[in-house]
Amino acid sequence: MYELKKVDKKFPGVHALKAVDFHVNRGEIVGLVGENGAGKSTLMKVIYGAYQPDGGQIMIDGKAVRFGNPRAAMEYGIGMVFQEQSLIANLTIMENIFLGYEAQFVRFGVINWKAMAEAAKKQLAKVKLDIDPATTTADLSFAQRQLVELAKVLTLEERVQGNLVILLDEPTSVLAKEEVQLLFKLVRELTTRASFIFVSHRMDEVMELSDRIYVMKDGAVVDVVERGQKTVEQIQHKMVGRNVDKEYYREQRQVPYDAGKELVRLENVDLVGRVKNINLTLHAGEVLCLVGTEGSGREAILRAMYGMRTPASGNLSIKGQPANTMTPRSAVERGIGYVPRERKVEGIVAGMNVYENMTLSQLGRHSSAGVLRIAGERALAKEWIAKLSIKASSEMVDCGNLSGGNQQKVVLAKWRSGGSDIMLLDHPTRGLDIGAKEDVYDMIRDMSDAGVGIVLVADTLEEAIGLSHTIIVVKDGAIQKQFDCAVGAKPSLLDLLHYMI
Amino acid sequence: MDFQRFKPHLPWITLVVLVAAVGIVDDTFLRPANLLSLAGDIVPLFIMALGLTFAIYIGGIDLSAQSMANLITVVASVYLASLGAWVALLCLFVGFGFGMLSGYVTTRLLVPSFISTLAVGGLAFSLAQYLSGQRALNMDAVQRDAVFGWMIGKTGMVPNELLIAAGLLAITLFIERRTTLGRALKAVGAGEPAAAASGINVARYKILAFAISGTLASAAGLLFAVKLSGGAPTIANGFLLPAIVAVLVGGTPLTGGVGGVLNTAIGTMIVAVIRSSMLYFNIQATQQQMVFGLVLIVAIALTIDRAKLRTVK
Repeated sequence: MYELKKVDKKFPGVHALKAVDFHVNRGEIVGLVGENGAGKSTLMKVIYGAYQPDGGQIMIDGKAVRFGNPRAAMEYGIGMVFQEQSLIANLTIMENIFLGYEAQFVRFGVINWKAMAEAAKKQLAKVKLDIDPATTTADLSFAQRQLVELAKVLTLEERVQGNLVILLDEPTSVLAKEEVQLLFKLVRELTTRASFIFVSHRMDEVMELSDRIYVMKDGAVVDVVERGQKTVEQIQHKMVGRNVDKEYYREQRQVPYDAGKELVRLENVDLVGRVKNINLTLHAGEVLCLVGTEGSGREAILRAMYGMRTPASGNLSIKGQPANTMTPRSAVERGIGYVPRERKVEGIVAGMNVYENMTLSQLGRHSSAGVLRIAGERALAKEWIAKLSIKASSEMVDCGNLSGGNQQKVVLAKWRSGGSDIMLLDHPTRGLDIGAKEDVYDMIRDMSDAGVGIVLVADTLEEAIGLSHTIIVVKDGAIQKQFDCAVGAKPSLLDLLHYMI
Repeated sequence: MDFQRFKPHLPWITLVVLVAAVGIVDDTFLRPANLLSLAGDIVPLFIMALGLTFAIYIGGIDLSAQSMANLITVVASVYLASLGAWVALLCLFVGFGFGMLSGYVTTRLLVPSFISTLAVGGLAFSLAQYLSGQRALNMDAVQRDAVFGWMIGKTGMVPNELLIAAGLLAITLFIERRTTLGRALKAVGAGEPAAAASGINVARYKILAFAISGTLASAAGLLFAVKLSGGAPTIANGFLLPAIVAVLVGGTPLTGGVGGVLNTAIGTMIVAVIRSSMLYFNIQATQQQMVFGLVLIVAIALTIDRAKLRTVK
């Protein structure tokens, strides 16, 4: 009944969806899987009306429709349960459920709270949540909020004609095991009322719940799997599109690091928040990977090494010098470079051109008495554009208009051109296509050969295993285990997962 | 043509169209003597707008500029007799100090600049009232001419004020385009998180931007005091709105990162033309602020970068 036909979506520099065919039948649960950047979130945004496709058609019951915005999609019964929870914390449950649709309870300009509470109770019963609808949302547990969100979407049932399609975006990512089972049971029961599209990273859960699974890769649907027809491994293979081979992560280029030369040392470092008692050492030429789930404290440790967070106790030293009170400014002076996860926010300055971005961290080296040597900056930028084969027509183009991979190269050039020999990489391949990823892997090996110490928070576990000399598994702010990853003796995915979860 | 590509050219096109329009209606307008005196009159406003450009360029605002100029007219009038030419240094120093204070409150105490500068402006205003005893003060005419007479003289046909304006424009343009300070300010305006992640001391550069704004506001106040040969705590009232209009109409949006002092020069000329045409059409001084208010709203609506501004409150 809900169908996408050859849907296309392009962004500057990225072909995000390539002729995607997709359909959902009444009462069906459809899974959607793919790696980061495969196009899942774009597809979802097209489905619930946040994006308008550039080509192709959206069909409901055989009729072509077009949604200008999510609210228009809701009029057709398409609702979204957001991963990052769209409930407003300081409103009550019932206010959240009927947000934007209060008119039905208004008499003479005044809201009839009793009627709203009654109606809210009815919605909450659908998701089997027995709770006072006048409770403030902030007081609910995460799982309860998720159910409220689901109840909110289910109000569509009374409002629209026809069938409901509900998107669940990573609904299980922060739930405990029992909560997941309860949610799944509920979703199965609700298939009498609605169809579901279930998006998750957890392959086993998708396999368990879905009647049919769409596998996406590089913006296209590469496979549609009926329940029970393929194993997890087979689907994973489709997702990645190749055997995860040694070639891909440049393992043949991995050489032992210089264990005699210490660059960074953390001794019993505690950070404000959850991170406790971190001990690690980074050597010249070493690729050290911090592995853990989202929120395990990987980023906090990385940021502490860049002076963006100050250790509450313990010792941080850079190249043998104590550095507990380091700021980003003095971290840069000590030769540390930081490639942040949010490339467009913290990596590049959109609105500044390539050479201005490249020298931003090293203004002092490109100036005398505060006056810039612009000719020198431009020559340097030209050199690095050639060296990293950055696709930019000149050093004068605005970095905001480059593709993601080329922006990342500019960020890397910013640090390498300044001679940084400690590189902190936070998800350096996030959102890049395969070719650009391989370029980044090559650059990591190049830096390692040049004696640069690298701390990496990788996008996937395979990436972490493939690239690193050393893996440190972090869980709940503490180091669980350190693996040595010499070529030929690398730990397996399961080895890591065992300590992560 | 697509509006985004046309946008950077909007300020000078507006200026040319306005000048042509007023020139056609009023045939005395385009005479060189008229244009020069028009330009000369706007110089104090221009200097203030030049300073404001720095505050707006980093995505902030400086609402204290007008009170600062008021304060400086008083300071200059009170201390000219005792300090002589050194009073100029005192004025600039006071402006720099108050600007630093605004910057400090904004960056260290995390008070948004529109409030911190409003509050610092309040301080400046009170100080001006205290120093002046709430009266209008007069400079000693002989001493003024001896010390600052050169500021308001003429070189050939050209008012010296214009030369001062040109000099300040050249200096600020150099700072903006050729120095690490200018580059850092651009980075802070266009992408503060990325600037911070590149190891730039964002707070220090922000404080400097407000200090430059304060210094130039005090330069504007000094020139104004010399022109009027005196000062009072409310004498420069009515400057702030046109000065902000000059910056924004020139093409430096409230969101910062683009535009600059050259844009402000064009913006100030637009303000000058609007102001003189209002005189020609007999629009009273009391109604001029209304016109500037309307122009300001239009200018902001056209220039603001909505990609940077998720919600407006």
